[in-house]
Amino acid sequence: MKTDDLSSIILTLVTFAPLVGALLLMFLPRRDRDIRIFSLVISLLTFVLSLHLAVYFRRGQSGFQFAVDKQWITTPNIHYHMAIDGISLWLVVLTTFLTPLCVLISWKSIHGRVKEFFILLLILETAMIGVFTSLDLFLFYFFWEATLIPMALLIGIFGHERKVYAAVKFFMYTMIASVFMLAAILWLYAKTGSFDFVVIRDQIASGAVPNFAAAAQWLFLGFFLAFAVKVPLFPFHTWLPDAHVEAPTAGSVLLAGVMLKMGTYGMLRFNLGLFPEQARHNAGWIMVLALIGIIYGALVAMVQPNMKKLIAYSSVSHLGFVVLGIFSFTQAGLNGAMFVMLAHGISTGGLFMLAGILHERRHTYEISEFGGLASPMPLYAASFLVIVLASAGLPLLNGFIGEFLVLSGAFQARAVYGILGATGIIWSAAYLLWMYQRVFYGKVTHPVNNSLADLTGFEKTAVWPCAVAALVMGVAPIVWLSAIDPAVHAALMPFAQVVSKVVGP
Amino acid sequence: MNPSLNLWLIPVLPLAGAAINGFFGKKSSRQAVTTIALFFSGAALAMASWVAMRFSSLSLPYHEFFAHWIRITGFSADFAFFLDQLSLVMLLVVTGVGFLIHIYSVGYMWDDPSFYRFFTYLNLFMFFMLTLILADNYLLMFIGWEGVGLASYLLIGFWFTKDSAASAGKKAFLVNRVGDFGFMIALFLMIKHFGSLNFAQVFESVKPMGAETAGAGLLSAIGLLLMVGACGKSAQIPLYIWLPDAMEGPTPVSALIHAATMVTAGVYMVSRSHLIFERAPTALMVVAIIGTLTAFFAATIGIAQTDIKKVLAYSTVSQLGYMFMACGVGAFSAGIFHLMTHAFFKGLLFLAAGSVIHAVGGEQDMRQMGGLRKKIPWTFWTMTAGTLAIAGIPGLAGFFSKDEILWRAYQASWVYWLVGLVTAFITSFYMFRLWFMTFFGEYRGAAKSAQDQDAHSAHDAHSGHGHGGIHESPRTMVIPLVLLAVLSVVGGYVGVPGSLGGSNRFDKFLGPVFHGSAPAGANHSALGEKGASEQTTEEAEPKQGASTELIFTAISVLAALLGLGLAWLLYYRKPQLPHRIADAMPGLYRTLVHKYYVDEFYAALIVNPLIAGSTRILWQDVDRKIIDAAVNDAGSAARHASEEARRMQSGNLRSYAGWIVAGSAAVVAFMIWMWTGSR
Amino acid sequence: MSLLAMNIPALHMLAMNMLALHMPAVYSQTLPQYADYIRILPEIVLSIFGMIVMVLEPLLDEKQSQKLPGLIALLGTLAALGATWFMAQSPGLAFWNMVQVDSFSVFFHALIIAIAAVVILSSYEYMAVQRIRAGEYYALVLFGVVGMALMSSAVELVLIFIALEISSISSYVLAGFRRNNAASAEASLKYFLLGSFATAFFLYGVALMFGATGSTNIDLISKALRAGPIPLLAYVAVALMFVGLGFKVAAAPFHVWTPDVYEGAPAPVVGLLSTGPKAAAFAVLLRVIFVFHVPGMLWLVWISAALSMTLGNIGALVQNNVKRLLAYSSIAHAGYLLVAFAALPALGTSAVMFYTAAYAAMNLGAFAVVGHFANAGERYVTLEDYEGLGRSSPLLAATLTIFLLSLIGIPMTGGFFAKFYVFSAAVKSGLIWLTIIGVLNSGIGAYYYLRIIVMMYMRESRKEVPVTRVPFALAIALATCMAATLYLGLFPSGILQRAQEAAQQFVLHAQPDTPASAGVLPQSEVR
Repeated sequence: MKTDDLSSIILTLVTFAPLVGALLLMFLPRRDRDIRIFSLVISLLTFVLSLHLAVYFRRGQSGFQFAVDKQWITTPNIHYHMAIDGISLWLVVLTTFLTPLCVLISWKSIHGRVKEFFILLLILETAMIGVFTSLDLFLFYFFWEATLIPMALLIGIFGHERKVYAAVKFFMYTMIASVFMLAAILWLYAKTGSFDFVVIRDQIASGAVPNFAAAAQWLFLGFFLAFAVKVPLFPFHTWLPDAHVEAPTAGSVLLAGVMLKMGTYGMLRFNLGLFPEQARHNAGWIMVLALIGIIYGALVAMVQPNMKKLIAYSSVSHLGFVVLGIFSFTQAGLNGAMFVMLAHGISTGGLFMLAGILHERRHTYEISEFGGLASPMPLYAASFLVIVLASAGLPLLNGFIGEFLVLSGAFQARAVYGILGATGIIWSAAYLLWMYQRVFYGKVTHPVNNSLADLTGFEKTAVWPCAVAALVMGVAPIVWLSAIDPAVHAALMPFAQVVSKVVGP
Repeated sequence: MNPSLNLWLIPVLPLAGAAINGFFGKKSSRQAVTTIALFFSGAALAMASWVAMRFSSLSLPYHEFFAHWIRITGFSADFAFFLDQLSLVMLLVVTGVGFLIHIYSVGYMWDDPSFYRFFTYLNLFMFFMLTLILADNYLLMFIGWEGVGLASYLLIGFWFTKDSAASAGKKAFLVNRVGDFGFMIALFLMIKHFGSLNFAQVFESVKPMGAETAGAGLLSAIGLLLMVGACGKSAQIPLYIWLPDAMEGPTPVSALIHAATMVTAGVYMVSRSHLIFERAPTALMVVAIIGTLTAFFAATIGIAQTDIKKVLAYSTVSQLGYMFMACGVGAFSAGIFHLMTHAFFKGLLFLAAGSVIHAVGGEQDMRQMGGLRKKIPWTFWTMTAGTLAIAGIPGLAGFFSKDEILWRAYQASWVYWLVGLVTAFITSFYMFRLWFMTFFGEYRGAAKSAQDQDAHSAHDAHSGHGHGGIHESPRTMVIPLVLLAVLSVVGGYVGVPGSLGGSNRFDKFLGPVFHGSAPAGANHSALGEKGASEQTTEEAEPKQGASTELIFTAISVLAALLGLGLAWLLYYRKPQLPHRIADAMPGLYRTLVHKYYVDEFYAALIVNPLIAGSTRILWQDVDRKIIDAAVNDAGSAARHASEEARRMQSGNLRSYAGWIVAGSAAVVAFMIWMWTGSR
Repeated sequence: MSLLAMNIPALHMLAMNMLALHMPAVYSQTLPQYADYIRILPEIVLSIFGMIVMVLEPLLDEKQSQKLPGLIALLGTLAALGATWFMAQSPGLAFWNMVQVDSFSVFFHALIIAIAAVVILSSYEYMAVQRIRAGEYYALVLFGVVGMALMSSAVELVLIFIALEISSISSYVLAGFRRNNAASAEASLKYFLLGSFATAFFLYGVALMFGATGSTNIDLISKALRAGPIPLLAYVAVALMFVGLGFKVAAAPFHVWTPDVYEGAPAPVVGLLSTGPKAAAFAVLLRVIFVFHVPGMLWLVWISAALSMTLGNIGALVQNNVKRLLAYSSIAHAGYLLVAFAALPALGTSAVMFYTAAYAAMNLGAFAVVGHFANAGERYVTLEDYEGLGRSSPLLAATLTIFLLSLIGIPMTGGFFAKFYVFSAAVKSGLIWLTIIGVLNSGIGAYYYLRIIVMMYMRESRKEVPVTRVPFALAIALATCMAATLYLGLFPSGILQRAQEAAQQFVLHAQPDTPASAGVLPQSEVR
């Protein structure tokens, strides 16, 4: 009973709890410690609230749950329509899971303007959750844009040397890309008189939208471009390394951990959901781009002298897997894509935290500055190894499940795609292990590194949850898949008809 | 209906050991760590033997579901276990040899600062290896498959402060990944066409299929891809390159992982998939050829190696080649038989070599040894047993298994047999070379051993020893040696072929797994003579007559003895002769010393171009100079346009008025045009 | 006043013709009644207060003259707001159909007067800081507002022209109010010359329209235009009026004056110039475009809109003077607004009305901050001056940031919905390409607003810029703008419904056909 009356408002709570926290934070006196504790409490509270979603989510059901749908603005007909299905559920939880860790990892590393930092962080969390929970296209776009500012500010204020360049590049690149989505949304609204995802989807499916056929391709591209830049899909990826290298640790974690997923989530939800036929027609070149991303990203990552750049390019490679899976239109592919999103969020988030920890001690990300660190900081090395292996897709860790499913899906769709994609498992092992060797193995080359401190308490509490999560997800993926699978299955429904259309004479 | 055996415990026990040592080992004492490690690996052995005792009462194959793992619409893979004669053999070999090597390691690693880490990894390896063996589906097998790769990565790079060790570990992992890539594709094919990776389903859907007469076909493809995986794991051409480097790891590791167990996983996997291979003659032929080539090729390299462990490493590669040769000719049970005996004597040889190294204080170069016969008698005698066994001296384990393989190889094609025979000769030559160089003549290393200490102190864990001169190893190391020596001697008698008055019990034991599984209506020509392998052996033997087989046995024994003789001549009778020979044919000698320059070849052809290309072309040119430049140029172009646009604001009033006039003129003109258009 | 002189002959001649033609009509009418005066009550109130200020000002000493007139002027605007409400109660025509009170004109009255109030508030201390004797300043503001207000309710071209002139002349003077500053004087002069030049175009447009249709009454004209084939004269007339109004709203290609004038004029005045007269001019333009509805205008507007957006945004990219930057931005915004003029009347009108309101809120706010920050003599107006403002005075920076985000068109701000309605109107009318140009521009435009934010938050101040604490009146002004911006961003429905009602009544005049049917809208555009 209790859950029932909760379930109508729980999404609102989860989404806006951080924002409320941020507002309260504004009125808190500038005592850094209190501010840190407060924001930790808020983010943890949000996480706990989001667990309610995971627990009371009815697995095996494909539809949207915890729905709330109220008129927000009468003209235009904008609804406050929020709901989640198996696809968005875990992305919300991922967000709420990573944010407290970001607070912890920033505990010591952020000195000046602590208050602003955590306010921005919490606002960002709300915006990101909103992206995953909102089903009203307008609301979605609203949150989508809303994520830009706090992230740009986080990079631009708390970043490193070339922070301004990175922040502006990030903002402009994504901003300009997303206005095309806005145009597409406007078109849909003009023709359907609604922003509601479900309504529009059904209208399109039933062919009730006037001269849709002519515009469909452009609409598809409008959405796709916005998402492709966010993912980022080759060749729209060059903002990512800059943004990552300059961003503060927490920024990188959320950027790689969650924001990139906003792009792939968008593709899955909107490009597939609204335009199945166009998705099918465009799948060819999109998958090629994804493959290029996988291999290209990995090879470029391999030769990066800068740890964060390496991880950034590895994200390009991993997200390539996601796109590959999504546009394979196979059950395995989509399940895998979803799982890679989550796995990448955990492992890359962890990697960025670890990189940040090193940066705090040595104020550099240059791999050549390190070497032999396994001797002075064994715990750190061990944690790093676990995350690295997870990211390299070692079985029983989270990376493997997703990549395997994606590749088998891609293989079913088109064998050569699966084979080319599968080379990714070699590349990823190559760049990760090589990096690991150069950083941790051999003798300590720089004397300063001899005295580096091992993980501190805060750092442990921030990093180890990621390691544990990586292991649990690898051993018991069923927990996640059981919720994802039905949703994915539903998402693939329209393609049955499309296939018949395409295959038909 | 089978009683539940709780097979899942067998892998999980060592895992528990690894976990405990991993988390608490650092703080706790060596004794505690030892207890934990030995207890859990011993428990696995005990459990395995218990299973073996219950074995006869089971209806095979035995399946055991443990837990769901991956379940999505249209595909699922569970934590489920599978037991039949084949996996039982492997189980016993792995747990048995594994346990012995655990004991040995206690002594060998005692002085190592990160003692606990070693045993954590070792137990972890046991876990993955046992998972690999007991898996009920290919995906779970793949877990073990990659997991043992991880363990080997960690253990090869155990002394990670040594760059060579770290690199060797990475190399091993990456080369294995290349193999795994093939393995994965094979799995995708199975999923696509059989809709499952469970052995039961896969084999059920394979059984009705006939042999693929044409070269290409689904099963051939799967077979070849699986073989790619096997080449990676079992160090076959062209992916064997990692194994010699893997000797950077502590010697017990070389014994356990890179001789006795892990490297044989490929053989196990191929035999497990024999239903597929039997229907894919092309794949099978490839297996046979690769095996034969590797056997010969590696053996030749073994001749010129001076590092005692490197010699053994190449001999391992070569022996694995024998096993694949066997599989390739369809004599899977022979392959497994050799796998088992090889586990015994090669494990023994490595441990003994370790004991030698231990004795001489970390020295691995045989040129610095010699005359150790008296100083370390236990090691000497056990090693002798191993050497005789691998050389194929009648009566010892290696003799029976190798003989079996050669005989089956001959039945398939005399080429295999001939190459195998030559290999046998070379094998016995370099093994006795090792034997003479190490134990006979007079000690050559004393002089340098002193300063060598430092050189090797970081390397092997013996800076403590050795100073006190050469000495026999502690009991914890000797006992396993002895036990393995015994096994290497008697281990072969489970499979004495009929021709020698035995009844090849081993082959019969494995019968249910391999026999009667040949494709329906498989025509022999398609399968090569191999078709004769299983069903026909029984009637084939009387036909060709035990006498023929005996002749062949005699020939191979002769080859072994020739090898021994040559070694005796060159390294005992006239020690200076080898140098003359080397000088006589410098080209060949250098080629052998440099292992045919294969590493250099790979480096020049793959590794370096890849790195250089990624750096210069992909990163600096494509990424920076093209893509990112385009992005930035767009920005600067806009800025440039801005400068242009601001030219309009000259600040000059007349020009402003001009703009307005021009603008209005244009507007008016436009409207007039519109007007004309409208009528 | 010299300007009137300049245009007197034309005006006189026109009036003569008119009388000559309408003589009987005019005399058949009874004298203005009570209701007629109610319907221009706001204008009356404002004029009275304006005069009070002027009369009072000389009697005050230096000290009081800074504050008291402002106070009175503020009261005047408040009173005028009340008057507007009063006026709204009696809709209808007045003064021989020259003035029309409907929710359309009421909307603009309220908006313009509110703008004036905010401007006065933000000038309150500004004047003191700039050491400007402020008496006639407030008077001029009030008179200017009279003109703007009248523009929105006049339905008679000549009256519109007169109202236009009233507002223009006062704004010319206001532009030059920093007497001791050369730039200001120059700005004033340029504005004056070019402005009168442009208004002359408008006037000739009126004359030609009269020639074409024999009337200057909007209603009659539209009837006449619908009656038969539209004569060439009408085409040209509309074109010329567009030139005049285009100048007022700073639409390309008539925007060249904007940067110089905005840079020179006092910040609060710029706030006024960029909102009040624009709103009024747009109100008139709505009538000219939608009521006259001459085919082809669509394309004129289409091109002008695209040009304004692009030139404005591009020009602003590398501006280092914040006032100039905002000048370019106002050009761009004029472009966005014009997009709505290319759309269907029913959709476009409400969009325009909402946009003007939202734009007024955010732009006034922005200029208020700039004006305050610029300090005595407007010394600090370059981007570099804004470095580290986020640290030195976070509140001010945050406020400015909100306005800038709204100008970018980030969700949750009025600016977003303003753009949104405009573009959705455009899409609904099938103007896909114009919409795409628009959204792209708003994407590019983000850059230069972002630059200010970057300066404030991401750079450490290199030079010492004194930031005086925000005075009370300004605080109120900012609060008002902020509240309006956020309110419009979160609950736009309220205002929008007003706008739509107004549009409904307004569109009654315009015929309901679509631009697509307006002759030239090609299918290529619908795609």
